[in-house]
Amino acid sequence: MTDMIDSTAPTGTMGTKGSELNENPERIEAFRTEVEQMKLRASSAEGERRLVVLGALALAAGLALAVFGGIMVQNTTENVAANQRAFMATGTLLGIALIIVGAALFVRFSLARYLRFWLIRLVHESRANTDRIVEAIERNRQP
Amino acid sequence: MSPELALEAPPALLQLEDVRAAYDNIEVLHGIDLAVPPGTVVALLGPNGAGKSTTLKVACGLMAPSAGKVLVAGRDMTGVRPEELARRGVITIPEGKGIFPNLSVKENLLMATYAGRPIGEVEDIAYTRFPRLKERRNQLAGTMSGGEQQMLAMARGLAADPAVLLLDELSMGLAPLVVEELYGIVAQIADAGVSILVVEQFARTVLGVADVAVIMVHGVVRRVGRPQEIEDELSDAYLGG
Repeated sequence: MTDMIDSTAPTGTMGTKGSELNENPERIEAFRTEVEQMKLRASSAEGERRLVVLGALALAAGLALAVFGGIMVQNTTENVAANQRAFMATGTLLGIALIIVGAALFVRFSLARYLRFWLIRLVHESRANTDRIVEAIERNRQP
Repeated sequence: MSPELALEAPPALLQLEDVRAAYDNIEVLHGIDLAVPPGTVVALLGPNGAGKSTTLKVACGLMAPSAGKVLVAGRDMTGVRPEELARRGVITIPEGKGIFPNLSVKENLLMATYAGRPIGEVEDIAYTRFPRLKERRNQLAGTMSGGEQQMLAMARGLAADPAVLLLDELSMGLAPLVVEELYGIVAQIADAGVSILVVEQFARTVLGVADVAVIMVHGVVRRVGRPQEIEDELSDAYLGG
């Protein structure tokens, strides 16, 4: 608003009706408080981007963990069976789980926007087709 | 504005920052900057197709901007649902009034109880401000005159206890005398401390109540200033001078 008022305007007032600014301070304060207390979600685009990044990170982490687990399983020398099971469980298997989840998140949300547009396009084309068919039928009906 | 006044000026209750909006691939708002400070009446003027109503739709959340921000009480509310804004006090009276023509006046007012006010209180507010509505409380809204329908629309808006009131083409389809009466009521509402953003094609009707006038042409803000300064430039703006 500071840019909106001509700099030659008289200082101290913003009303032009010869009176001071008409404010209702209690209502304005209540309004500001209610707005401040609103819980706002991040925009859907931002949320989706975060999930894509999370998926990629999970994928990378899962891969690293799986490889680490595999290496440790190969190189364990003491308490071989027990240690191998431990490294399998906490390394390789957990890593594979993270790879699956990460891949799912990455694919789902990186394709979401494209697929959404594609679906809308399909619906639009389908409706346009239906309209054309109806129009053709009605044209044929006319004598 | 002088730097001193800029420091003293309270933050705007409603602000649009570099807002762009489009219908499909056609951009209609090309970077709009607009602010409604507390207790002021801002008139958004311009010829047909300037983008005034689109600006209002973006401001109240009915339309998401393709770029830019909508700030409400200093907080970024871009993309927030319009009903969430309405519950907090950003009330819109749309072009075409937005009343339910098949419901009676009382039933229309009943729709305004979503804000939590009981119907008795809503009716009290409506009939105090618009006594004519009391006479017609059982009449179907669609059978009333244009001016009375507009009063009903405003009554519903006021019953929701607005902090910011957005009015879209109040004068549309109404006789000049009725328009004058309605803008007299708008002035009273402004005097009660409600901040108002009013979109109007017929500029001279609203300049008498506005504190700030903004001229929009082809989706951009052409001029901002006090109504007395703007009045002389209106013809040029509307006729493309």
